[in-house]
Amino acid sequence: MITIDKLCYHSGLRYENAGEKFAFAVVTLMICVMSRSMAVAAVVLAVMGGLTVWKGKIPLIRYLRFLTVPLAFLVLSTAAIMFNISKTPLDLFAVSLGEWYLTAGSHSFFYALQLIFTALAAVSCLYFLSFTTPMPDILEVLRKLHCPKLLIEMMLLIYRFIFILLDTASAISTSQDCRLGNRNYRTALRSFGMLGSVLMIRAVNRSNRLYDAMETRCYDGTIRVLSESHPPKRKVVALIIGFELLLFAFALWRRFFS
Amino acid sequence: MSEEIILKADELRFSYDDDNTHSLNGLSLEIKKGQKVAVMGANGSGKSTFFLCCTGILKPQSGKLFFHGKELTYGKKDLLDLRSKVGIVFQDPDNQLFCASVYQEISFGPLNLGISEEKVRKEVEDMIERLEITPFRHKPTHALSGGQKKQVSIADILVMHPEIIILDEPAAALDPRHTVMVNHIVNQMTKDGITVLMATHDVNYAYEWADEVILFESGKVLMQGSPRQVFSDKEILKKTNLEPPMVLEFFESLCRKGILDDSLPAPKNLRTLETYIEEIKN
Repeated sequence: MITIDKLCYHSGLRYENAGEKFAFAVVTLMICVMSRSMAVAAVVLAVMGGLTVWKGKIPLIRYLRFLTVPLAFLVLSTAAIMFNISKTPLDLFAVSLGEWYLTAGSHSFFYALQLIFTALAAVSCLYFLSFTTPMPDILEVLRKLHCPKLLIEMMLLIYRFIFILLDTASAISTSQDCRLGNRNYRTALRSFGMLGSVLMIRAVNRSNRLYDAMETRCYDGTIRVLSESHPPKRKVVALIIGFELLLFAFALWRRFFS
Repeated sequence: MSEEIILKADELRFSYDDDNTHSLNGLSLEIKKGQKVAVMGANGSGKSTFFLCCTGILKPQSGKLFFHGKELTYGKKDLLDLRSKVGIVFQDPDNQLFCASVYQEISFGPLNLGISEEKVRKEVEDMIERLEITPFRHKPTHALSGGQKKQVSIADILVMHPEIIILDEPAAALDPRHTVMVNHIVNQMTKDGITVLMATHDVNYAYEWADEVILFESGKVLMQGSPRQVFSDKEILKKTNLEPPMVLEFFESLCRKGILDDSLPAPKNLRTLETYIEEIKN
């Protein structure tokens, strides 16, 4: 997660209009999920992956490694759909296990494969967004979409303070290491407990301080901030609309005419 | 320099928990408009508590606070009015910066003042330019160095155009380059007519920079006066565990030895002292 955050600030597409990127990712995601077609998923995966790596300048190896994260879950969860254990062998293949067969039907096999592809393509859409768009920009888009203020304010604060919490935790943990706090299982358990309780106290303390600091700047209960806007480019908008229309047409064709 | 008193505290008493230990224990002082005031004193002598009282964040259990001669009533409008004119730059920027983007962070204050969006954008841009934030303006706050965070936290306050700026140990944990930068910014504030209160432990800096030095001790003002007055008082310095500034100590020693004439005005910095010594030779 922290790596994604670091990478997205250096993305080649960072200064594109956040609304464009958001719309592109979300609309593509929806078409991809609703089409239920492997071909559409493959196109989406290729386009999103290509854009993220080529235009966004995310290292290919890194990107592939991130894609394998959901892949493990996907393979495990679709295994149940793919393979059957039954007394009658199915059409694709069957491995005999005494009286029973480990077997797969071609229909369910391809269905599972299609699920994996669609899910990966969907993930690649979200990766495109998170690898190219920093959190504050996404929040700005959500604000324009009239997402509840309270939710946005909370996300804003949480996002900022995740890093402070992690910094504090790692500093405490280092100082525990220096004093042999993790020399064996017993002390490690104890140290971890203490880390938790100290972190809690510090967090409360910090929130009080932050509140004071915000009050000195005339905070009155609503957080109002301005974001830097990068105006949408006509060419990019046209390209996005063109791509979505094509993808939609392709999805329709795959679904009804082939 | 005008002698108008901008901020006055009268017998402030404050304790965080209601027992007998008071963080502020009958603190009274007056700050003149446009002055550079160094607030000194040991850790826990009540500096930070006093600062929080200055913006009405903490309400003293007894005593009065006057801003421009008007008593603070702690009504909502009164407080907002005070806070729009008194800004605090906190010691730890991580307690002050709450946005992940530098631009958003700086825009928070002026928007709260009800300034129009267009004007805020201009102000924020100006401030980014003025405080040399441009090279890292697009970085997220959590990726900034300590010095850069300090620059942003000063910009936060400066963009609200307060009449008084309180800096709580601005040079703490800064490298020499950023210390010089912060000092430069502070001098600029004074030129713009802002009254500056600065908590610091650096006697040499306070001696050279300040118009007035206030010594705090256990929640009270031990002494308030010109740097020369305060730092020449050996008794008082001993009480607060402060060393006299080097330039002053050296000058006085040279006077005692008859090398320099003690009718000369006390030098503020090494350069002046150097010219004094050069003049003997000629």
